[in-house]
Amino acid sequence: MRDDNKINIVLAGQGNSGKSTIFNYLTGLHQHIGNWAGKTIEKAEGTLFYRDHMVDVLDLPGIYSLTTVSEEELISRSYIIKQNPDCVINVVDSTNLERSLIFTLQLLELERPVIIALNMTDLAKRKGITVDVKKLQKILNVPVIPTIASRGSGLTRLVDKAIDLKTGKPERTIHKYGKEIEQGIEKLSDQLKGIDLPYPLRWIAIKLLEKDSDITARVSELKPRALESSLRIMEELEEIHGHDSPLVIADERSLLASRITRETVRIAKDRELSLNERLEVLTTHKVTGYLFMILILGGMFLAVFSFGNRLSEWLDSIFSGWHDLWEAAVGTSFWPALGWSAIESVLALIQIAFPYILPFYILLYLLEDWGYIARISFLMDKLMHKMGIHGKACISFIIGLGCNVPGCLSCRIMESKRERFITAVLVTLVPCSAVSVIVFGLVGKYVGLLWALGLYIFATVLIFIVGKISSKLMIGEPVELIMPMPDYKTPNIKTIFSQTWDSLKEFIYIAAPIVIVSGVVIQGINLAGWMPAIASVMSPVTVNWLGLPAVTGILLIFGILRKELILVMLAAYLGTTDFNEVLTSQQMITLAVVSMFYVPCVATISVLWKEYGWKKALVITLAETAFAIVLAGLVKRGLDVFMV
Amino acid sequence: MHHRHGAGDRRGCINLTGLDDGQSGIIVSVMGGEMLTKRLADLGITPGKELKLIRKTLFSGPVQVEVAGSKLVIGWGLASKIMVEVK
Repeated sequence: MRDDNKINIVLAGQGNSGKSTIFNYLTGLHQHIGNWAGKTIEKAEGTLFYRDHMVDVLDLPGIYSLTTVSEEELISRSYIIKQNPDCVINVVDSTNLERSLIFTLQLLELERPVIIALNMTDLAKRKGITVDVKKLQKILNVPVIPTIASRGSGLTRLVDKAIDLKTGKPERTIHKYGKEIEQGIEKLSDQLKGIDLPYPLRWIAIKLLEKDSDITARVSELKPRALESSLRIMEELEEIHGHDSPLVIADERSLLASRITRETVRIAKDRELSLNERLEVLTTHKVTGYLFMILILGGMFLAVFSFGNRLSEWLDSIFSGWHDLWEAAVGTSFWPALGWSAIESVLALIQIAFPYILPFYILLYLLEDWGYIARISFLMDKLMHKMGIHGKACISFIIGLGCNVPGCLSCRIMESKRERFITAVLVTLVPCSAVSVIVFGLVGKYVGLLWALGLYIFATVLIFIVGKISSKLMIGEPVELIMPMPDYKTPNIKTIFSQTWDSLKEFIYIAAPIVIVSGVVIQGINLAGWMPAIASVMSPVTVNWLGLPAVTGILLIFGILRKELILVMLAAYLGTTDFNEVLTSQQMITLAVVSMFYVPCVATISVLWKEYGWKKALVITLAETAFAIVLAGLVKRGLDVFMV
Repeated sequence: MHHRHGAGDRRGCINLTGLDDGQSGIIVSVMGGEMLTKRLADLGITPGKELKLIRKTLFSGPVQVEVAGSKLVIGWGLASKIMVEVK
């Protein structure tokens, strides 16, 4: 393909403006989407072929500023520059135009070709907000295209425009600051002439006045004189305005954004409240908010449990005759027995884990797409402060309920390193869907639903205590919560099912092979007669301390791969899912407690390693294992007294 | 610490947490470190702007506000550093 038929686009904008939704639509890829700011933590690239062009699309994490405060901002900024995109598509949430424009104005200062995707126009309409697109286009002097990313509306026009823009040379409008600032910028731009940096001079001058650490460092190396005069100008600005020059600039930009908004946005008054707006009041109210939270989360667990049980029983009735059929067909010698253990492992996975994981993910993504997770953060912020972190950590906890891996990764939404680490440690204690399989399928089903709920409450209390302790151990200034509150939106069924499918795919492609291999290995060990020897090595812990059958030792080892293996392998090994034939109620609860808190699974350990280094990952792994064993032993002793 | 406009030197000026649910005010100043003030400015919280307190939570939890046409949640400690003039 010829070079002039290639075009590259960068999607940039504030959090939760719909960048990833546009990206998914254009590239056919599956970036995770949901209704809260901060989902995209790593850039994503994809390609689209359109009108004889090869269009490379880059999706960036949401940022609120181009003056670097956080690492994400530095990364996103350097991509906008280094990628040298033919066009930056600034995705703007039209229900939040004023706030979005603060970022847009900064983006325009970079003097790259910009197209504005005025997104979520359907939601704006429902809120009675009308944006005068033509006027906005005229004021900003860049193309503005209304879009509804969730329905794909306006997105091809966006790409059309990007292709057109490549051939034409856009003119630019400079959005000016106050007189003193402009004088300073002019003076600095003059002195910066000839500097070897890939940025516009005006932009470098502005960033110097904003005390951008990255730019200041580079200018001090290349043009120390310009830096000196920038310091003088800043002093003058501070004298005139009475506060720091970065704030003078931020203030003026923010006021400019409100001026543009006033000129282009009309909001209808006396509109009737929509259902979502009424729910907003109920679910964030200081009393009913908490009642709804208990109702929603409690309802979710009940639904998962009852649906899971029913589906599991139905599958059991289907699979029950298969073993006899297999033996009748191929016999009962060593190899057929080994073959059956492979089949049995997969059947057990389908029958035990799948029925609970399926409704779990559907409901989780429903809450996420609706926008409820941000409400939990709001309601729980105060409690989180007692653990030295803030409300946003709840987002990671809720995601961790699905799987600890994305839960740990999402900790990047926390602002400081200390908070990130505390939150990640706590996320590893959150019972993920694999652990829920054990809690529901073993304790819930055979001991009682109240015991299962009790285990969740137990885990919550424990997380609180560990959080409290770690906030005391890791001293540091607690960061305050600042979080954009997304509006509720009607959940998109297609999004929910496609994200559920993405999570289940992992189940098919990764869990199933692991389960088959583990099943065959365990059965092989058993048939070779090595089981008692291996089991006895671990029996001081499993049998003597935890009071579990010796076979659980080897299951707990396999459980490090994936926690649902503990239960799935137990079923495969026994050849039955009637666990009450081999385990007492006390043993079930003890096993569930160990499974909940011991070693995070391999995938989680590797994420911890990647994010925090191998030392911390190792310490967490060993500490949690020791902790889980001690705890479960104590629980067992407690149960011996109370459950007779 | 940067005191913008010097807080509290104007009459009728209270911190954000003193507003009642549904009450509006004009932002007078933000007291806080450079990073924090900058972060708030990026979200549209700058002197001169109108801000509406939507609701508070129990026990000095975070407050929900509407500013620059969008909704934000702000922790109590931070909210008490934002000075407003009641409308």
